[in-house]
Amino acid sequence: MKNMTQSLLALSLASTLFGASGLAFADSFAITHATVHTATAQGVLNNAVVVVKDGVITSVGSATDATLDVDKVIDAKGGIVTPGFIGSMNILGLVEVNAVADSSDAWDKKADITFDPSFGYNPKASSIAFTRKGGITRNIVTSSGGEDIHSGQTFVVDLSGSWDSIKATNTAVFVRLGAKHEGSRAAAIQQLIAQLEKGQKSLAKASKDKKGNNDVSELEEADEIVKSLLSGQKPLIVAADRASDILAILKLKQRFNVNLVLVGAADAVLISDQIAKAKVPVIVDAMRNLPESFDSLHNDLSNAGKLHAAGVKVILSNMGDSHNVYNLRYSAGNAVANGMDYNAAMAALTVNVADTFNIDSGSIMVGKPADIVIWNGDPFEFSSHVVKMYIDGKEQSTQSRHDKLRERYTTPSDLPRGYTK
Amino acid sequence: MTKMMPSLVMIAVTAALVGCNQSEAQDPKVTINKNPYPSTYQVLPSTKTIIKNATVLTGTGEKLENADVIMMDGKINAVGKNLAADDATIVDAQGKWVTPGIIDVHSHLGVYPSPNAESHNDGNEMTNPVTAEVWAEHSVWPQDPGFNRAREGGVTTMQILPGSANLIGGRGVTLKNVPAQSMQAMKFPDAPYGLKMACGENPKSLYGGRSELPMTRMGNMAGYRQAFIEATEYKRAWDKYETDYAAGKNAAAPKRDLTLDTLKGVLEGEILIHNHCYKAEEMVMMIDLGKEFNYHSGTFHHAIEAYKIADTLAENGNCAAMWPDWWGFKLEAYDMVLENVAIVDSVKNSCAVVHSDSPVTIQRLNQESAKIMHNANANGFNYTEEQAISWITVNAAKSLGIADKTGSLSEGKNADVVIWNVNPFSVYAKAEQVFIDGAKVFDHQDTRYQAQSDFLLGQE
Repeated sequence: MKNMTQSLLALSLASTLFGASGLAFADSFAITHATVHTATAQGVLNNAVVVVKDGVITSVGSATDATLDVDKVIDAKGGIVTPGFIGSMNILGLVEVNAVADSSDAWDKKADITFDPSFGYNPKASSIAFTRKGGITRNIVTSSGGEDIHSGQTFVVDLSGSWDSIKATNTAVFVRLGAKHEGSRAAAIQQLIAQLEKGQKSLAKASKDKKGNNDVSELEEADEIVKSLLSGQKPLIVAADRASDILAILKLKQRFNVNLVLVGAADAVLISDQIAKAKVPVIVDAMRNLPESFDSLHNDLSNAGKLHAAGVKVILSNMGDSHNVYNLRYSAGNAVANGMDYNAAMAALTVNVADTFNIDSGSIMVGKPADIVIWNGDPFEFSSHVVKMYIDGKEQSTQSRHDKLRERYTTPSDLPRGYTK
Repeated sequence: MTKMMPSLVMIAVTAALVGCNQSEAQDPKVTINKNPYPSTYQVLPSTKTIIKNATVLTGTGEKLENADVIMMDGKINAVGKNLAADDATIVDAQGKWVTPGIIDVHSHLGVYPSPNAESHNDGNEMTNPVTAEVWAEHSVWPQDPGFNRAREGGVTTMQILPGSANLIGGRGVTLKNVPAQSMQAMKFPDAPYGLKMACGENPKSLYGGRSELPMTRMGNMAGYRQAFIEATEYKRAWDKYETDYAAGKNAAAPKRDLTLDTLKGVLEGEILIHNHCYKAEEMVMMIDLGKEFNYHSGTFHHAIEAYKIADTLAENGNCAAMWPDWWGFKLEAYDMVLENVAIVDSVKNSCAVVHSDSPVTIQRLNQESAKIMHNANANGFNYTEEQAISWITVNAAKSLGIADKTGSLSEGKNADVVIWNVNPFSVYAKAEQVFIDGAKVFDHQDTRYQAQSDFLLGQE
């Protein structure tokens, strides 16, 4: 056990800092001596102070202009402060163990546009505390879908693990197009077009009919959802990889004026100008660089950076993941290593996600909820870790059952390990 | 034909010694060719090369600052400070890092290649719980674009394994990561074969789902034991044939059995066990299974719970090959700890390996190791780069039985070398140049050394 000499000290420190009941809550606090990545037009502020009152950021600025009338001052000691990262398009909290059918609620054969997976969310899933290790404070959860093109609707959570951590439900409609294992991709997009056409017709009819209140009452839930897409109030997230599919989907945006978001989009680099011009955000997995299928022959580690450079709003995601969403920050690091602008990568984990999904978070800005992470170094690096983390100004633990297991098996004991708790 | 020589000599000798005492003439001796698909690997064109002024991680636990590495005739010629090499190609590596070529003990490149397609599902012979007769090398598609991506991540050697659906899934093969048209041209000369075995959920759920054995973990154990009972009898029959023939008898050779040939190779110590096995209690049983049939239980792959039995693994000479953080996809992968590799490595005489099992993370085994090192160091360990690099170099070579050939930058070893732009344990690190047997096989700045698969050529 030559490399474990410091473990006992570290463990006692860890329990002091993170003991379940030991998390400090102050009505107001200030973080000082921080390099703050604001993810706003303010950019990066050196030796800055962030003040939080009642869970909201009330001041962001230099040390001199902050009046520290607060309950507590937290010295970041030159560390880096970022907004809490925002995960997206994953199934975190819908699954405890994927292969344990009873604990797996991300997929349903009959899922359609009305499917609301938030009813299956468990804020106590062991993966949620683990995900906080990655500095992720909020998340957009989606289902894995079913047999239909529709995977239901997304919902937004904070990662506090508290009973009230679902913040919004039915926030966006998620459709999967492109390669189909059975049948033709053509039929899939035709289904979507027919749905939007039907919705458009019924809206036109309703507006002609001045009396028209019985129409609305007769609308089925699915029609109501389509209506919210056509009004542009609810984002339509479409997964597709091949450029020909993406172009067909861009035409839908033009025709139906939907608030389109692309996800996957392996070929987006081939048509980045059209995507930028259409102002369509793109959610990508920066680690894709294999031709996984004939739809994704142009996957490359440089794609995220290239899309940003072409003027596309990029969101980084580890799409579909259930347990290792915490790796998101390393994806950002790899994107930077392969040409993406650092601040753009930071935005792709924070403000871009918040803007696209109408989440009140994602930047260090006066009036925003205090979703804040203090890091001991570059948050994209392996050598850095979360020092402190806040959601709505409340300090969060980054300890999970994984830490308990490690402690059990590295703490010397005369008794069997089963007695070490 | 060289492999035939010993047996011919043997016939001549036995005939001379005992021939005159025999009443019956001996039939020609039956021998089994153990290498019917031999390596045709050729070293790519190379020159004598000196890498100057790098931070060198030797793989043997040393970190040398401002050091030089000389590669000559395909071997590491010297590692040290202020070396001189006449007529050598000079690579200025000031500010850069040099490591041994990265080795992945668990890859399915070529057998589950990209693109993922029905036509390409060649990694798992899911037709019988024991398929020791299949060899992964017979499924390898050398044009898998993943080989090139892995090389760009510094991977010079990989073991390609069959999948884990079966209790005994077939032979694995160790390849050098060079572009080629045939598997044989990639085959690592004189590397031992591996045998893929699998514990736990995969075999029992697949065959249990078909109402066949194994349906349970006890069924799994019964399946391995039955197979090795047959292998033991088969070996005994062949040993008897050898003895009788040597004694001049005109013995009949046993009927050849492809499945048992491989298991006999395990019993003879020629084929190394690579056992997909997550859980502590199962690994401990697999160690005893090896003792029951007198073979070594080899390397445990995925080994999510290796940290619970780190002492036992070290005492029994087992390597554990692990991911940094995969978990939760199956119940047997539930008890992951981020420090698993570090806990295993911290025991004396341990053999901790970081593997990929993925065409994605094989490209960044340096980053996988970095995750482990830094997480461990944040939780009471004190690992350095020169220690952690062993997880993907020398320990991996040990697991594959090729540590005498590669995995470290020591004099006389194959010159499998990576030059990194920065500390390879940084997220920003990239392999700049990769050498296999002293020949440059990748250069990030020179498109001449950036191989492309036939499959991707000319795709629009």
